[in-house]
Amino acid sequence: MTGTPFAVFVAAAIVILGVFTAVARSRSATVDYAKATRLRLLFFASLGAILLFFLVLTLPGLPYPVEASTPDRVVHAVGKQYAWSLTEGPGPTLAAWDREFSPLVSVPARTTVEFRVTTLDVNHGFSLYAPDGRLVAQTQAMPGYMNRLRVSFDEPGAYTVLCLEFCGMSHHRMRGVVEVK
Amino acid sequence: MPEVLVADSGVYIARLTRLTLTWVLVALVLFPILAVLGFLMRVLQAGFFAALPPEWFYAVMTLHGLGMVGLWFVAGMAGISFLLSRYVRPTLAVSWIAFAATIIGVVLLLAATLVGRLGVGWYFLYPLPFHSGGTWPAWATASLFAALAIMGIGWTLWAGDLLWAIARRYRLSDALGWQYLRGSGTPEVPPIIIVATVSFIGVLAGLVAAVVILVLVAIEQLTTGFTNDALLIKNLTFYFGHMLVNITMYFGVAMVYEILPAYTGRPWKTNALIAASWNLVLLLVMFAYLHHLYMDFAQPQWLQVAGQVSSYLISVPAAVVTIFSTLALVYGADTRWKLPSILLYLGVMGWAIGGVAAVIDSTVMVNSRFHNTLWVPAHFHTYYVMGVVLMILGTVFHLASDLSKLPESAALTRTIAVTVGVGGYGFLLMFYLAGVAGVPRRYAAYPDEVARGIMYARASLLFITVLLGGALLYIWETGRRCVRALP
Repeated sequence: MTGTPFAVFVAAAIVILGVFTAVARSRSATVDYAKATRLRLLFFASLGAILLFFLVLTLPGLPYPVEASTPDRVVHAVGKQYAWSLTEGPGPTLAAWDREFSPLVSVPARTTVEFRVTTLDVNHGFSLYAPDGRLVAQTQAMPGYMNRLRVSFDEPGAYTVLCLEFCGMSHHRMRGVVEVK
Repeated sequence: MPEVLVADSGVYIARLTRLTLTWVLVALVLFPILAVLGFLMRVLQAGFFAALPPEWFYAVMTLHGLGMVGLWFVAGMAGISFLLSRYVRPTLAVSWIAFAATIIGVVLLLAATLVGRLGVGWYFLYPLPFHSGGTWPAWATASLFAALAIMGIGWTLWAGDLLWAIARRYRLSDALGWQYLRGSGTPEVPPIIIVATVSFIGVLAGLVAAVVILVLVAIEQLTTGFTNDALLIKNLTFYFGHMLVNITMYFGVAMVYEILPAYTGRPWKTNALIAASWNLVLLLVMFAYLHHLYMDFAQPQWLQVAGQVSSYLISVPAAVVTIFSTLALVYGADTRWKLPSILLYLGVMGWAIGGVAAVIDSTVMVNSRFHNTLWVPAHFHTYYVMGVVLMILGTVFHLASDLSKLPESAALTRTIAVTVGVGGYGFLLMFYLAGVAGVPRRYAAYPDEVARGIMYARASLLFITVLLGGALLYIWETGRRCVRALP
């Protein structure tokens, strides 16, 4: 998933570097304004076509849940400096955090799991890392809001939940585990 | 050609020169300090000095981010003020007020981060400043907001005065180039006036959001029973932050419009295309910030789509007008390749490359893999370090050389260009590769799942050292010219 955008970026960067180098080394010439205008128009049309192509290609892939469908499982993910609570029932409140907090939840593979993500204090970033270290999916955890993230895990294993929105001193230590069976 | 102001300008220009060089010297002192803080962050991420408590990393990160964003904004403002003096007369006293406000703000931020260990990141996302978890005291948060308020007032006055100076000479519609859109082309205005007008309107529009944030946060802190809406504050925060960063880049572009023609021997005249593109930028920049909130699923979906469309669209006027025109200006032009022209040209190239990375990340589908990974600092460091910073440094060297009359050493110019180019892009590549590998940004240390981040951080240290070497050489060469040029 990340390989394609990186390849597009590298290709574009090489083209830009090549064009800037060629122009800087170009030999003395007078400006042909008519030709420059035609070239600019061509550049404008090409850029417009490329952007339109990527808009049409990518907009159908928005990661937001479709209201009409129902998930197979629901997991409540609640962030609090500096831990994730992952439960099948409603997440803990601030007062009951120590009693109800759970850093681990189990879900079946190849089913649609909806993570209902919120926070009890500051903004956090709920992210799922596969056992091989790939970033699988993410959404933000915001005070007063519940963000719904749907994921279907193809492979079983322990998926780590890390925080992807800076939340304070132990931001990098905030974690949870989703065990996919 | 647009008429240049020369009458009765001797004393004014001498005072403006002193003021501008003062700004530049302060920037040349702060720049390496803030850059070394960035280097220190990569040292810690590389696994060295592991005994240092993480709150120091986050305090340094906050100072580095806030410092760099503020530094290049004021350096851009100061540079533009000087270049605008060819056409209009800003009030010098207002710029001095902004200078004093900036210095006070810097002192407060230094105290908050280095003494108070405030670690909130450069956009201090609400409500984090009020949830320190015992890391920083309440006075550090108060110091942050006091710094922002003081600098905000100073910068609002500054941008307002510069806009007023333009309005005293040109009608606002002319300063925005609408006469070119009507097909008349008179009165003639140079491109820098149009870009500056768009930028100052943008600055004021961004600062309005900052004021709203400060007021809302103050109400919550000073009253009971009122809690701010986190999504609203997030929208306001990114609207303000994105605007400030983008406007800084526009300052750099305005400098390219004004300075590069002196090295290519070809004029850069305003036409309908330039006018149309910058008016379009003024409109689109208000909405492009929405791409920062793609992962906030509670945001209405039509705003997410609007964010991707406006982020894509805003790249068109930049690419078709500024980048294409830069290439047309240089192509076959017998350009004098001196340090200023090299840095300005490299700056436009960096802006283009960083722009591609930004457009890729502004694709919602891609953002769900890249958001808050190291791809984010990768792309914004590309159009900052290798973009607008080079444009500003090129302009400053142009002014300092012009005022000091000190000749340029070809060997030093080559050394600076090569070290900055190789060091800069090598440093960025490590960010990009780590981002593609899903390594999170803003981690003081990497847990096992993303331990590959350590390898990229270690490799980047070599490139940053080369980059810093080039930067220090530049600072020495420019600093001695500025000191020589002080009236």
